[in-house]
This record gives sequence, C-alpha cells and structure tokens, in this order.
Amino acid sequence: MRLFLLYFLIGLFLILLQSTFFSLLPLGPIVPDLILVLCVYLGLHHPTVGAALGSFVLGYSVDVVSSRLLGFNAFAMTLVFLAVYFSSRSIWLHHPVVSSLIVLCAAVVKGVAMVLVWVIFLSMEGFWLGAVKYIVMEALVAAALAPVVFSLLRRGENYFNKFGAVA
Amino acid sequence: MTAGARGQLQNEPLGAVLMWIMRPLQIAAQGTVHWLTGLRENYDTLAGFRAENERLRQRIQNLEIERQKLLEAQASNNRLKQLLDLRSQLSGTPITASIIANSATSWFKSCVLDKGISDGVRKGMAVVTPLGVVGQVVAVTARTAKVLLLTDANSGIDVLVQRTRSRGIVSGSLENGVLLKYVKRSEDIQEGDRLITSGTDGVFPKGMMVGTVIKVSKQHIGLFQSIEVLPAVQSARVEEVLVVAAERAE
Repeated sequence: MRLFLLYFLIGLFLILLQSTFFSLLPLGPIVPDLILVLCVYLGLHHPTVGAALGSFVLGYSVDVVSSRLLGFNAFAMTLVFLAVYFSSRSIWLHHPVVSSLIVLCAAVVKGVAMVLVWVIFLSMEGFWLGAVKYIVMEALVAAALAPVVFSLLRRGENYFNKFGAVA
Repeated sequence: MTAGARGQLQNEPLGAVLMWIMRPLQIAAQGTVHWLTGLRENYDTLAGFRAENERLRQRIQNLEIERQKLLEAQASNNRLKQLLDLRSQLSGTPITASIIANSATSWFKSCVLDKGISDGVRKGMAVVTPLGVVGQVVAVTARTAKVLLLTDANSGIDVLVQRTRSRGIVSGSLENGVLLKYVKRSEDIQEGDRLITSGTDGVFPKGMMVGTVIKVSKQHIGLFQSIEVLPAVQSARVEEVLVVAAERAE
C-alpha cells in the first residue's frame, strides 16, 4: 500500500513536470511521456493488480489534466502495463540495457491504442500522417529518457525500502 | 673625534672614501626602498580597487536583478492593461485568469486556468486575449478550468475571412498545424487574409482575431480548398487570458 502511494505521488510529480516545465523543452508539439515510462517500470518490476490499477489511475490523471476525452490515456496506460506484464512473463526483459527498447515498443503500443480510440471517437481529418509522426517521436523521446527514469525509480525504491525498514 | 667635534670631518680622508663608496649603494638602496614602498602602496591601492570593484560588481548584479524585476512588472502591467482594455470592450463580465499548466500529453492541445466555477467560469465559455482567440473551456472544477486550445485537432471555430466575408471552420490537426476547413474551391482566399470569429457559434464574440492565412492550395479533386492558418495567439506564450460568457448572435 505504501509503495502504491509512493508511485502515485511520483506519478503526480511526473504529470506536474509534463504539464509545466516540459513545455520549455525545444521538442515542438512533443511532450516527453514519463508516465508511460513509469507504467512500463511498474509492469516489469511490480506485476500486481494494484500496479495495473495504478497505471489506470495515472493515465486517468493525465486525462483529467489534458485530454478532451476522459479515459483516453487511462485505457492506453492500462494496455501498456498489460502488454509489458504479459511480455515479461514469456521474454526476459529485466536487463537494464534493454529498458529503452521495451519503452520504445510500449510507446508504439500506446500510440496504436490512442489511434484506435481516436478513430472511434474523434476527428479524423489530417490524422494519419500526424499520428505516425507523434507515435515515432514520442517513442524515441521516451526510449531516450527510459534508462535515467528507470535508474531514478530503482534508487528511490531502494531508499524507500531502507527507510521503511528503519522506520 | 676631536677633529669631528671641531667640524673638520670634510677634511677627513677615510670618511670621504667611505662616503664615496656608500653613496651609490645608499642611492640604490633608497631607490629599492622607494620602489618597495611604491609597490606596497600600489598593492594597497590595487587591493582597494579590487574590493571596490567587487562591491561595484555586486551592486551591478543587484541593480540588474532589480531591473529585470521592473521590466517583468512593466511587461505584466502592459499585458494586464491590454486585458482591461479588451474587457471593457466585451459584453457581460469577462473573468481574468492565469494559465497554470499546459497539456501533459502530445496528442491534445490544452491548458489549465486558475479560475473555476467559484469564479463564474462555465463549460463552453470562450477564452481570449487582446491578440485573439485562445480556445474554449471544456471542463471546469471549483477552482480550475480546462481549455481546449484552438490548435487542438478536435477544436472548431466558426470564422469569417475579413476581406471577402467567406465562412469556414478553423481547427487544429495533428498533421498540418491549424487549418481553415470547408471553404469552397470557388471562394477567393489569398495568403495574408485575416480570419475573425463570425459570432454565430454562440461561443466567441464576433470580430475576434483568429489567425492569418499562410498557404492556400487546391487539390485536383474535392469540393474544398486546403488552407493553412497561422494562429493569432501563440498559446505557449500566453500567461493571462479573459474568459468570456457565450454570446448568441442576434
């Protein structure tokens, strides 16, 4: 429960970063998706029902702050968590070097999920090329950031566990 | 000694020789003393200058910080003054709000305002600046409001081309930025044409600047022209906005 709370607070902090400071980055319309990286991390290292629920809540929080449709990111992040979880059961994905690759694939899964929902509910004009551009750019940026975020999360978790043990 | 006492030293040969030998040495030594004294004085002066320099440098830094604060206050003052001018031109009671967050995802273009239901903001209200249209309130809580920006792919604003009074819908897109849609091929649209709100959508006041046409192209087939638009307001640079109540056209 305490770990769940910790990741929820980290998630809120990452959403805060995404919605404020990241607009200063010279990446054009692309906002680095750290919530996606967090969901991949949860899928790899905390494959529990609580973490799946956490991924949904994080995606929903992004929707509340930014999206026109509530549930858009919630659906995509839950799908990402499940995809990583089921992949990690059959393929060995825990090596730190491949974290970027996993996040790259997860970003593509998320992009496809976004496209699916978009096609059903939203405007399609000038969509396809733009969607491909967004998926590719988001995936590359997220993959580039993944090793750093994974490392920080691991350290934070270790520190939290030590602090928890002492307390 | 007796001779010395009698004032006859100038005739004393040993003393004269000693003086002859000592004189250049004394001159050289005295010169060195003067040089060293000068050096020390210069050092003292230099150290004084250094301290003075440091003090002045610090003062310049402080003044520069104060200057930046004043410039920022002046810029903020100008922006608020323009907002007040616009506010006096608009009907109803526009609400002044600040943007406190941008979109946390690449797929939607939105922002969050620091005013909500308790301040009188309602879903569907228009969000504008003195430069033009920003977007529309799509969700509202007690103390915040979410605004769908003009640049979002799901936005849509009914506009008039100011020169020809042709009508169309301005909307964002993932692919090409902001577009003017549903303008017939026969309509005369040129680069540089200004687009203003028509006021018929019941959301935006009539005559607000929306953007400028930057590219017009007609494809071989299709009923409509393909028109790209440069928005009048660069939403990433906006800090304060006015939230305006929906206005029905007569």
